[in-house]
Amino acid sequence: MIDLISEIAQVLGNNKTRTALTGIAVVWGIFMLIVLLGMSNGVLNSFNEHRNSQGSNMLKVWGGITSIAWQGYKEGRRVSLDDKDIARIAADNPAQAADVSAQVYGSALTVSTPHDYTSAYYMGVYPSEQRQRSLNMKAGRFINDLDLHERRKVVVLSSKTAETLFADPGDAIGSVVKMGNIAFTVVGVYNTEWDQSIYVPFTTARVLAGGGDRIDSIVIELKNVNSEADGTEAETRTRKSLAANHAFRTDDESAVSIWNRFNQQLEMNRGMNILNIAVWVIGLFTLLSGIIGVSNIMFVSVRERTHEIGIRRAIGARPRSILSQILFESVAITTLFGYIGIFLGSAVNELIARLTEQTEFISNPRTDLNIALSVTVVLIIAGMLAGLFPALKALKVKPVEALREE
Amino acid sequence: MITLKGINKTYFGAVPLHVLRDINLHIDRGELVSIMGASGSGKSTLLNILGILDNYDTGEYLLDGVLIRNLSENRAAELRNRMIGFVFQSFNLISYKDALDNVALPLFYQGVSRKKRRLMAMEQLDRLGLADRARHLPGELSGGQKQRVALARALITNPSIILADEPTGALDSKTSCEVMQIFRELNADRGMTIVIVTHDPGVGEQTNRVIRIVDGRIAPDQ
Ligand SMILES: Nc1ncnc2c1ncn2[C@@H]1O[C@H](COP(=O)(O)OP(=O)(O)O)[C@@H](O)[C@H]1O
Ligand SMILES: [Mg+2]
Repeated sequence: MIDLISEIAQVLGNNKTRTALTGIAVVWGIFMLIVLLGMSNGVLNSFNEHRNSQGSNMLKVWGGITSIAWQGYKEGRRVSLDDKDIARIAADNPAQAADVSAQVYGSALTVSTPHDYTSAYYMGVYPSEQRQRSLNMKAGRFINDLDLHERRKVVVLSSKTAETLFADPGDAIGSVVKMGNIAFTVVGVYNTEWDQSIYVPFTTARVLAGGGDRIDSIVIELKNVNSEADGTEAETRTRKSLAANHAFRTDDESAVSIWNRFNQQLEMNRGMNILNIAVWVIGLFTLLSGIIGVSNIMFVSVRERTHEIGIRRAIGARPRSILSQILFESVAITTLFGYIGIFLGSAVNELIARLTEQTEFISNPRTDLNIALSVTVVLIIAGMLAGLFPALKALKVKPVEALREE
Repeated sequence: MITLKGINKTYFGAVPLHVLRDINLHIDRGELVSIMGASGSGKSTLLNILGILDNYDTGEYLLDGVLIRNLSENRAAELRNRMIGFVFQSFNLISYKDALDNVALPLFYQGVSRKKRRLMAMEQLDRLGLADRARHLPGELSGGQKQRVALARALITNPSIILADEPTGALDSKTSCEVMQIFRELNADRGMTIVIVTHDPGVGEQTNRVIRIVDGRIAPDQ
């Protein structure tokens, strides 16, 4: 084996320019493959993180405006969700609705402490909101059932808001903030990067909004859904329940809008798979041009070395030795430069990772060891393929004829 | 050592060329023989057949009692490697390998370890007075030195027979004499069977038997 390697090193070293030129094609191919894979991984990671940050097994519903006249009502009527809908959706589809909760969106108001003030939107939510948004508590707790039940004047702030409002954010829990003119007690602070919402109990928010039973949005957490068909069924049933409550036609798409996060996620996964496959295909095609380059060079090399092959045959090289030498040379060129490509590609990915740390679209665009391994396998196969035909050609060299050639 | 019975060889080109006609020949172990003839008379063709580098059409070739016919490429390679040492007019050294690696190459194909082959190659070069040239590339050697390196390569597997095609063809008369001297010593001291193809009468004179080829036939002894 050491013999074979030194033998190959000698041959490649003997043709440095040619070896290097061929190598560049391979480096480029692998480089492209690694960078593309890195980018697609980055996009994938970003989507996955996004998915984790907002639960995906759910439907979110908003009221809309009817577009079809129905049961004596004209089209163009506004449909507002209300408390009856929560109960009805849960009752109509117990097999799929795991949890139904609602939100009331408040208007922007001034939130202040003796230390400072800020302007923010508040949202009246159920305790399940925490799970749905994957909110991470930095201190204290989220809104709970008792808050909801007793319409407590409690509030959960984002860590950024807490930093603004308190000289020492550690003091936030238990302190009082004024929302407009009303005093609220801070019960929790959550970690956040983007979200600056201020959460209060759903029932409290409704009081602040002046009572009534209007709801801005309903979230239905789903269970027993595994396919797109399941997701669609849940959506249709929800629409039916609402149509019955609000007297619109079930096929009136604009009466309520339903965001089917479950189906969207499935679609996204499919898209991600396609992206992944596309990247491999593009990368492999780029690599293919590298392989053809190596193959060409090996052909040239075999032609130039016909005489040498004749000498080797005359002094006792078996056809198999000649074959394996050409194949190994080809694999050696391909893997050597392939690894340079992997190295450069990973370096670029690392650079992109550093540059995009603050960006949302790409997250950690690095390739893992698995990919490096599969690329190695790809390289070896590629090298074999590139060397195969030249090697078979070298085999056909007849010693006498090769020796006659100068 | 070598027995040829009724060997015929035709090159089927645009015009078929009957190069060897009914060659019958016997060479004993330990002989130093030259094959002489005009250019194009078929000397190299005959030597290539002897060296199992080429096939013949009809007849029988026995090398050390083994019938050489329709051998597999692997068997032919092995016989060439173990039994035959070649020396060519144009040396046929591998240009990017130094003298030592060139000499050691036949042992590589025998699977001899790197260390041992280098040692043996060095010994062989030393015997031919080239120890100080071991790390030189062929391009850095004179014609006579190159031919001695080629000889060392031919000898390293300790073959039963040396086949040389115009070994002095590219050398001046002084170095020719030196190389011929080596052949004679190998024959005399180690009893090696040596067949030299040449068209130089001066070379022929230094061998113990001259076989003449005229138009593909062996001329009867005068
Ligand atoms: N592969 C070949 N195909 C056709 N003709 C050949 C081939 N090799 C040699 N010849 C011809 O055969 C004849 C004998 O060649 P060769 O044995 O090389 O002669 P020598 O070595 O005596 O000069 C020459 O006329 C040569 O042109
Ligand atoms: Mg000749």
